[in-house]
Amino acid sequence: MLVVSFLSFTNTPLVVKSFTAVKGGLSIAIGPVLKAIGKPTEAVSGGFNGYINLVNTKKENNELKKQLDTTLIENQRLSELERENKRLKRILNFIEQKPGTMIAAKVTGEDLKNWFRCIIVDKGKESGVKVRMPVVTHRGIVGQAVEVNQWHSKVMVINDTNSSIDVNVEGKNTRGLLEGTGQNTLKLKYVVKNDEIEIGDKLATSGKDGIFPKGIPVGIVITVNKNKSGIFADIEVMPFNNFKQLDEVLIVKKQ
Amino acid sequence: MRVLVYIIIGLVCMLFESSLSSHISLDLFKPDFGIPLIIYVTFFMGPRAGFITTICLGFIQEGLSGAPTGSIMFVKISIFLITTFMKKQLYIDSKYSFAMTCGAAVLLESFLFLSLSLLARGETGNMYNILFYAIPNAIFTGFVSIFIYSLIEYLNASYLDRVR
Repeated sequence: MLVVSFLSFTNTPLVVKSFTAVKGGLSIAIGPVLKAIGKPTEAVSGGFNGYINLVNTKKENNELKKQLDTTLIENQRLSELERENKRLKRILNFIEQKPGTMIAAKVTGEDLKNWFRCIIVDKGKESGVKVRMPVVTHRGIVGQAVEVNQWHSKVMVINDTNSSIDVNVEGKNTRGLLEGTGQNTLKLKYVVKNDEIEIGDKLATSGKDGIFPKGIPVGIVITVNKNKSGIFADIEVMPFNNFKQLDEVLIVKKQ
Repeated sequence: MRVLVYIIIGLVCMLFESSLSSHISLDLFKPDFGIPLIIYVTFFMGPRAGFITTICLGFIQEGLSGAPTGSIMFVKISIFLITTFMKKQLYIDSKYSFAMTCGAAVLLESFLFLSLSLLARGETGNMYNILFYAIPNAIFTGFVSIFIYSLIEYLNASYLDRVR
């Protein structure tokens, strides 16, 4: 088994195929189970957030506290509903711009290891998801589908260290390769020091990597260091999406 | 029967962790639920039961992670083999020594994964990330294993030993 997993890791064709088949077969139920477990988990996270919000009310008397608790919980529920409504509206508007080209999916899980940036969404083969399909939100790019099962898919987020995207600086003739760092920010590589780029520039996909369509917003330049040695500048980019707070995403169907 | 119960505990914990981390950012506090169960079963129930647990929990973790295919299974089996060989050298007599062992195993797991990526694929991109999380992961897994050990001992005393 140790040898089989090693050969699978090193991409030995026959072994990786059978290992993936066994893994896919065994994890087929993960999608529906994650979806089912999502409800109680949401309640737990809601309670956790609610607790943090209520810490400052401890000193108030019991009667007022009870009333405040009820009001706060109700308020929180309403504002959460309002936020969800706004979010879904924005997604709907985004889908309506290009009808029939996107699959809406809900984020049901995240990678178990913090070494990788990967999310699990509740749409798989049965919804028409395929490997390497781009995943976006109304704010911008999220990543690409890397593993598709019957009812769920794994999406590699752009801040994963294995991710790289070909991008353009909006309104300028500068192009580079955006790579994940495993942290919140991304690194823009292979931009020559003479190229036109400054803090605040917005980046969008160039469409030249064959995976992401052209013109999807990616992020904003936050640091540019041209004082280091070598011919390339050191550039940090903050993505438009907050990958830790993704609820719904859109999977772009390949034409 | 007992092994099945432990595997189910692992499965539930992992699914809950994966689901919860999509709502709350657990970045530095992501325990490895597989390691404590693998070590417990291998130590107290023998290599055969340990192997079954390793394979099941390894596949579950592979299914819930974006790690390259086979990598998690490889490190889990390595941890299982090391635990089997270390069985006579280590002495686990309380939940605290169990927690220390689990923490050390998580550290070892990080370095095994790093070596595997480096030697088998020549990948260094993820090196900083793995090193950055190695110690927090070990500490937090050690902390969580205290509860896992207590839970298993409670289950054994209350139900599983009686069934047997």
